Amino acid sequence: MARRASSSAHPVWILVAAALAVAGIGGGYFLFGRANDPYRTMAALPVQDYLQNANSLRGNMYKLEATIAKQMEWSQSAGRLFSVDAPGGEVLPILVPPELSKVNMERGQRFFFKIEVADKGILTARDVKKA
Amino acid sequence: MHSTLPIGCGLFLFAAACLAQVPDAPAPSAPVGEKPAGKDAPSFDPGSEILSWDGRNWNINNNRLFQARFEKYLNAPEATGAEDQQYRAVLTEILTRLAPGSATTQNVDYSFRLLARGSNYDIDARLCDSLANAVYTVWVAQRSQQRLVTANAAMQYEIMSLEAATQHQGTVTQHAKDVSEKMSGSRKPAGKNAPPAKTSANEQAAEAKQATLESANWQMRRLAEMIARQKSNDVKRELSEIAAKVEFQALMVQFFLQRRYQHVIMATRFYRALFNDGDSKLNLGKDASDLFQRSTGQPPTVSVLDSVANEAIRDVREGVKAFEFLLENKELDSATKRLAEAFTIGEYMPEVRTVPREKKRRVVDFSHKGFQLISAIEVKDYALADSLVKELAVSAKDFDSSKPTAAIETARTTSHFLIAKARNAAISGDKQGLETALTAATQTWPRNPELADVSRLIFSQGDVQEKAVIDFGQLLTQKNYRKIYEDSGRFIAALATYPDKAEQLKHVLEDMKQIETAILRADEMARQSNYAGAWENVEKAFAQFPEDSKLNQTRANFTTQAADFVRTLRNAQELEKQEQVGSSLAWYLKAQKIYPQSEFAGEGVGRLVKRVLP
Repeated sequence: MARRASSSAHPVWILVAAALAVAGIGGGYFLFGRANDPYRTMAALPVQDYLQNANSLRGNMYKLEATIAKQMEWSQSAGRLFSVDAPGGEVLPILVPPELSKVNMERGQRFFFKIEVADKGILTARDVKKA
Repeated sequence: MHSTLPIGCGLFLFAAACLAQVPDAPAPSAPVGEKPAGKDAPSFDPGSEILSWDGRNWNINNNRLFQARFEKYLNAPEATGAEDQQYRAVLTEILTRLAPGSATTQNVDYSFRLLARGSNYDIDARLCDSLANAVYTVWVAQRSQQRLVTANAAMQYEIMSLEAATQHQGTVTQHAKDVSEKMSGSRKPAGKNAPPAKTSANEQAAEAKQATLESANWQMRRLAEMIARQKSNDVKRELSEIAAKVEFQALMVQFFLQRRYQHVIMATRFYRALFNDGDSKLNLGKDASDLFQRSTGQPPTVSVLDSVANEAIRDVREGVKAFEFLLENKELDSATKRLAEAFTIGEYMPEVRTVPREKKRRVVDFSHKGFQLISAIEVKDYALADSLVKELAVSAKDFDSSKPTAAIETARTTSHFLIAKARNAAISGDKQGLETALTAATQTWPRNPELADVSRLIFSQGDVQEKAVIDFGQLLTQKNYRKIYEDSGRFIAALATYPDKAEQLKHVLEDMKQIETAILRADEMARQSNYAGAWENVEKAFAQFPEDSKLNQTRANFTTQAADFVRTLRNAQELEKQEQVGSSLAWYLKAQKIYPQSEFAGEGVGRLVKRVLP
């Protein structure tokens, strides 16, 4: 009786293929994220530093991705004051000036903020993009 | 009727006798027609036991005179000595010989002779002499020469007897003296061991000598009296028979007033033997006659006198028997009363005099306590009265405690009421009311122990108040409001009369009320695991009252339990002070996230929001 040659792949090759697939997916995700962040060239707000001493960050521009917690106050001349849930479980106040009044901001919505640490350490949004 | 008659009569007579005579000395006969005692005739109400005499009233069982005589009697030995027995035998012999149907001339003469003998005894108080004198006077008036000769012979016989006795006593005295001297002389060389025996022998000899001398003196005096009487009889001139009769009647009445009932009976029997004209009416003055009529209900006659005396003797005898029976049954109250009645009526009766001292002593204690109870109630010492009532109730099963108990309880209740009134007046600062109530309470029950306590309390109240005022000032200066709060009762009472300090106290207590409320609320929140809320409550109170120790302690405890919230809030407040509005607002928001109802966080957010959006 004639003997048939084996046709199954070698296990090493299977593992290599799996690793390449995972790396491909991760890389894709990374590239997608980077591509989705409108302020990817900017530094993220150092939240803990801000909480300890906001004055030391005055004049700097940062980016911040946060979720609207609630609108605390509104002024036609000064704009809207929001509290947002920042990464790390912190809650930060962000002033959205009247120039950005065309952007609707509601509780639970996630936004990319381009913020400036203004006078008295008040975080003032210079640009807003919906995440 | 018969039982009350002698008692009433006897009590009256006792009072009259107490005031009119010295117990151991003969009283002079009251002249007929004169008022027997004082300005008014005494009267006695047996129902109330009140004797009225000379404008005064007193209870016959409750006066010092009666107490003194009765106690003297109770403590005296029974009259059962040889001399007492001889005396009683003499009187019995006289009464027997003069009894109706036996009063022959010989018996009368013999009885007259026995009168002289009876008078020799000290207990007789020479009453037999008085009777003999009256009899002799009647014989003189009736010119009974034979009787006078007999009487003088009887007296001569007595004189000779006394002389013989006196001579014998002199010999005995001399003998006692010789024996004394002889014994003292013979003992002299006995040396050091002798003195006790010598002293004893000397004492015995001295006592014997003293006794014989006293006896000799008495007999010498008696002899002198008898001789003097014989001489006076010799000089008696013609007397009217009527005058002699009146004098005899007066003597009988006098015996009756002195409660010498045996002498009364002897006198009435002599009277009947001497005056056989059938006239037995007593010739007394109006007052004396009225007195008898009121006491006996009959006009005064020799027969009435005789029957009342006999009835009194019978009553005394029954009284003593009742006393002995009641004593056996331990009914001391009734026994004492019966003996007191018997004593009052027939103090000199043999039945009364022969009651053994041992039996009398048993009622002495009861009697003392009874008199002490009356005195205690009179002086309003109700505590003592109460204890005496209890003692008497235990010692005498028939003691009626209802009256003294009612008096004690009434006084006690009234006193309690007045003391309560005084206390209320003291609390309300009513000094006038306090004084009035205290005075009334003191008058009601001067020795009330509760009164002393209240007085001490009121008097010390001033010191207590002053100390409380000083303490309050010190604690206020130290801001130790909690101590003031803990002792608020004392300070409220003490500062009531200091309006300015009372106002300060009011503020302190209101503050402390806030602190206590905050602590209570915090504890409640802590029970619900709301430590941030609990801390915030005490923190708010702490901001107002940072000195309170208890609040501090509570705050420290909750600071530990709500550490995250406290630290967040502290950071927010610190950064707010540094004008870091953004960071501070972020911390306040974080604190609000931890404890959404936080007033501190809410207020902080509100403040800072206004700064961001003016």
